[in-house]
Amino acid sequence: MTILGRLKSWEGLLLGLLAVIVVMNILRSPYFLGAGNIANLFQLSIEKIIVALIMTLIIINGEIDLSVASIMGLAACVLAWLFQMGASLPIAIVGGLLAGLAAGLFNGFWVAYVGLPSLAVTLAGLIGFRGIARILVEDRAIGGFPVWFNTLGQQGILGPITASILIFAVLFAIVAIVLHGSALGRLVYVIGNNLQAARYSGVRVQSVKMTLFAASGLIAALAGILYAARLGSVRGDMATGFELDIITIVLLGGVSIFGGSGNLAGVGLSILVILNLRNGMGLANITGNTQTSVIGALLIFSVLAPNLAQNLQRRWIGRKT
Amino acid sequence: MKWLQRHVRPEQVRELSLLLLIIVAVVFFGSMIDGYYTSRTFNRIVSSVAIITIVAVGQTLVVLTRNIDLSVGSVVGCTAYFVGTLLGRYHDLNPLLAVLTAVALGAALGAINGLLVAWGRIPSIIVTLGTLAIYRGILVDLSGARTVTTDSLPGWLVGLPRLNLMSIGGLDLPALFMLAVAIVLIFHLGTGYLAVGRRFYAIGSNPDAAALIGLPIRRLVFLAFVLSGALAGLAGFVTLARYGNITVESGRGLELAAVAAVVVGGVNIFGGSGTVLGAMLGAIMIGTLEQSLYRLQISEFWRDAILGLLILLAVASDAVILQRLRALWGRADLKIVTEPPAEATVAAGARSP
Amino acid sequence: MTEPALARTKGAEQFGSSSAAASGQSGDRILETRSISKHFDATQALQDISFSLYPGEVHALLGENGAGKSTLIKIITGVLQPDGGEILLAGTPVVIRSAAEAQRLGIAAIYQEPLLFPDLSVAENIFVSHQGRGQVVGWRQMSQDAEAILAQLGVAIDVRSPARGLTLAAQQSVEIAKAISLNVRVLIMDEPTASLSAHEVAQLFGLVRDLRGQGVSILFVSHRIEEVFEIADKVTVFRDGRLISTRLRSETSPQRSISDMVGREMGLLKPRPRAAIGELLLSVRGLGRESVFEEVTFDLHRGEVLGFGGLIGAGRTDIGLALFGIEPATSGTIALDGKEITVRSPREGMDLGIAYVSEDRRQLGLSLPMSITANITLPMLHKYLDRFGLIRRGLETETAEAYRKRLSIRTSSVDLAVAKLSGGNQQKVMLSKWLNTKPSVLILDEPTRGIDVGAKAEVHAIIAELAATGIGIILISSDLPEVLAMSDRVLVMREGRQMAIFSREEATQERVMTAAMGQVSAPIGEVAA
Repeated sequence: MTILGRLKSWEGLLLGLLAVIVVMNILRSPYFLGAGNIANLFQLSIEKIIVALIMTLIIINGEIDLSVASIMGLAACVLAWLFQMGASLPIAIVGGLLAGLAAGLFNGFWVAYVGLPSLAVTLAGLIGFRGIARILVEDRAIGGFPVWFNTLGQQGILGPITASILIFAVLFAIVAIVLHGSALGRLVYVIGNNLQAARYSGVRVQSVKMTLFAASGLIAALAGILYAARLGSVRGDMATGFELDIITIVLLGGVSIFGGSGNLAGVGLSILVILNLRNGMGLANITGNTQTSVIGALLIFSVLAPNLAQNLQRRWIGRKT
Repeated sequence: MKWLQRHVRPEQVRELSLLLLIIVAVVFFGSMIDGYYTSRTFNRIVSSVAIITIVAVGQTLVVLTRNIDLSVGSVVGCTAYFVGTLLGRYHDLNPLLAVLTAVALGAALGAINGLLVAWGRIPSIIVTLGTLAIYRGILVDLSGARTVTTDSLPGWLVGLPRLNLMSIGGLDLPALFMLAVAIVLIFHLGTGYLAVGRRFYAIGSNPDAAALIGLPIRRLVFLAFVLSGALAGLAGFVTLARYGNITVESGRGLELAAVAAVVVGGVNIFGGSGTVLGAMLGAIMIGTLEQSLYRLQISEFWRDAILGLLILLAVASDAVILQRLRALWGRADLKIVTEPPAEATVAAGARSP
Repeated sequence: MTEPALARTKGAEQFGSSSAAASGQSGDRILETRSISKHFDATQALQDISFSLYPGEVHALLGENGAGKSTLIKIITGVLQPDGGEILLAGTPVVIRSAAEAQRLGIAAIYQEPLLFPDLSVAENIFVSHQGRGQVVGWRQMSQDAEAILAQLGVAIDVRSPARGLTLAAQQSVEIAKAISLNVRVLIMDEPTASLSAHEVAQLFGLVRDLRGQGVSILFVSHRIEEVFEIADKVTVFRDGRLISTRLRSETSPQRSISDMVGREMGLLKPRPRAAIGELLLSVRGLGRESVFEEVTFDLHRGEVLGFGGLIGAGRTDIGLALFGIEPATSGTIALDGKEITVRSPREGMDLGIAYVSEDRRQLGLSLPMSITANITLPMLHKYLDRFGLIRRGLETETAEAYRKRLSIRTSSVDLAVAKLSGGNQQKVMLSKWLNTKPSVLILDEPTRGIDVGAKAEVHAIIAELAATGIGIILISSDLPEVLAMSDRVLVMREGRQMAIFSREEATQERVMTAAMGQVSAPIGEVAA
């Protein structure tokens, strides 16, 4: 089996890694496998892994959305601002979701119809949407939401399973079906593989890209609102820097940064690896910042490894012929 | 129009219009804020742009080669903290040695980025997004979340921000700002007059042609990242001097300000064009906005929203407006080509085989 | 390799050396290739090429697309490495590993589309590859030097302005200036006139003659045969990767060169049996796209195969793209079944029953990492959805299996990635993909390029079969025997213009090539009114 062939079973690698981490965690803490701990594991990063689902589609499609964390913040701030202005909470929630949708459409417009690179557009969005969020709440912390809102974010509705976890599970299923079963998913791959070939086959490339960015805005907004519910209060800088973790999850899941390849199973495994890794590091009293640098290293490694493997393979073939 | 085409290059148009925009902004804020036109405003703006400017110069070099360096904020934090701790412990450390330590540390961190991008063939955005987190994480870990405080620092360093090289009619030119100006001049001349500087432009402008004539693309990209790191290191030293109190959060978000300064300053995000001087103008624009919005008491929070918009406008104008202009140029070409109808040629190269 | 061809190659070699003596060229060969060969996958791009270039001569290379000229140039300039044979420079064997190395050896190339740095100034572009100019750029000195060189060329360009705004002709002047500044001994010009006006061509030829006067050897590739005979001292003809002949210009003629170029045997290609041609299907009048092609007028009937002959870049593909809606036409009319139509996007083209099978399988035609099935159903994916919008895999596989059988696609499974198939089978997948859209007009762009002989025969059989079912087929091909064998009529394009439409009886290799290369002596056949 070639080196590249072995790496193609990236999921196998992730599975092995996951097994090692889980075993180490179990050895360290007997409570690790408890239902409460596992739910907690998800709950602590639930917003990031929700956004990672839609980010998977965007990266497979050959684009990137750096603005998701800012959209999360924006949606939460719009919600808080509306609530403070006297709107009822359900209306405020809808307002937050609409703000996210608008931000996503804004990104999508520039990327799909003007043809700007998503990297530049969403970098501007990363700064700009955060700016709007800060304008709305300035440096206050807005809280005092109705109890049901906080309960939504914090308390389990099915045993230890919270509404956020349920939403994640449902979204995971939906994204899996869309990506691997629907026409949209097929087109996402086709465009990511070869945009020109897609165009030559009559695929409406622009509307696919627009749909994805709009969905990304909407889902990021939903995640931002869930985050607000979990924290119980909203600040202008909430979710700052989340894009790093989100993109790392997706790339570690075997999705190519150049688009066209990857699947949701890999991303699912990658989510489990990262959650368990963080949890394990937490159990070992490793601080959040070190955890973040480990994640950063994983991000670089997940792109470097296939490159190195390819180099080695090329050298190997070169020697043979 | 012809005169304009002959004597003013497109990027100079960008820089001139930015200068105009800065003047408009100053006039606008002057009309909104009482007592805006004072030396105090000037001094505030001048001392706030020094750090962004130095980082933006390094960022310019990287962006010219079609890459991006998002780790500079963390590099600034690391060097500021590390040199601050060093100076806190050894008060009689030679000031020059302290500066050199900061620069060398920055260069080393930049070299890691450069290695991964040039030889690891990883997109720079991924590498530096990763090292942004890694460098910051290492800083937090090594420091144990302690802070460097002003009173732990030697006197010369604490006095540095108030050291003015000269003062013209109440307008102070602080040494740190002049340092930034010197850096800008050195790199502006370097990118304009040194062969290696021009090669940064060449590889960003047309990588295929650069490879064909045998330019050492990898080494040049590596060098750009090392220089960007070194300048971020220097900016870390300036940060230490200016604020004195260094927490593990120092320099966070600076990468965005630097990218914004570079893009707003007319450096093409796709590489190949733009100048160091333009990046400095971008930094001044941002500094003016920041300080003036603060005075305006609307909210300093408007800064980011405006920045985001400025970046988008800059990128869009680069991509769309320049494309339009180029298309116009192109059509003019074809008109000349098709003039003698007998031999009119229809660009056979329209579809490259 | 057939015997006569081999003999001729050898003859050409001897002829080359004797002519050098005869024409009184004192010098030795500046550049010589000995038995150079190169193959890509299954195709032999160059076979045993022995070729000589003498100081101060303009030597033209002629040949159809794919004859091997470009490959030879790439080998001489170090872009490609030969599989066998050697290169001698002024009598010394050299190995040229890169274009930069070729430049150091005094070999430079100018391409149809110049490779300049758009953001650097003209002067910088001229001197960018000079190693010896030091680490500091002396702008004033550099500008003066650049101006001096350009003045020597008789070109007035502002050397301080960026290269971005220059016309193609000006860009080419910059490339030539660059070559002169490097003191090149061998200058290769690959279709330098393709985008130039008559005036600019005259200017360029002036430059070429000056360079020749200075002892520079020029290798000149062009598809405009009248230009070749205006400028060249010697003409070498390539065909199918072999060197066919090298002759002094005075001893040959355009007609003779053309017959050398096209003297390919029809070989296995049997003419397609005549089928009944049905009623008028597609009617194109005065079609054009600004600055790409113009005034194209033809009719296509049901069951007819209309061949598009000509050279690459003649605008044939662009007509296909316009009919399919990828790059819509800007003038003229298209009528389908008597109704006037506009096609603004591929989706509209498909809905009207037009299909375009791209020439570029790998970049434009297929999504290589995806399965055969996914590729075949892609354009019609909306027909494969159940009521929940999910893809009906079973139905997809059914379709793919049907085409696998019908076109005998050789694969272990239709779920295999297309990348794993041979070129011929990839071509069949692409045909399946477009047949599945049930087209009435099928545009085939180079359907047999780069596939082996057996697969080629199969594709030809498929084309015949499709025509027999009443589909109107436009066959764009640079393979002249193929066009002649398959087509009921042949439309010839040259540089964006329709030169002629030949009936099956009128169309001969010589006539078509003559029209494609712009010789007016060609007998003009009926031009559809």
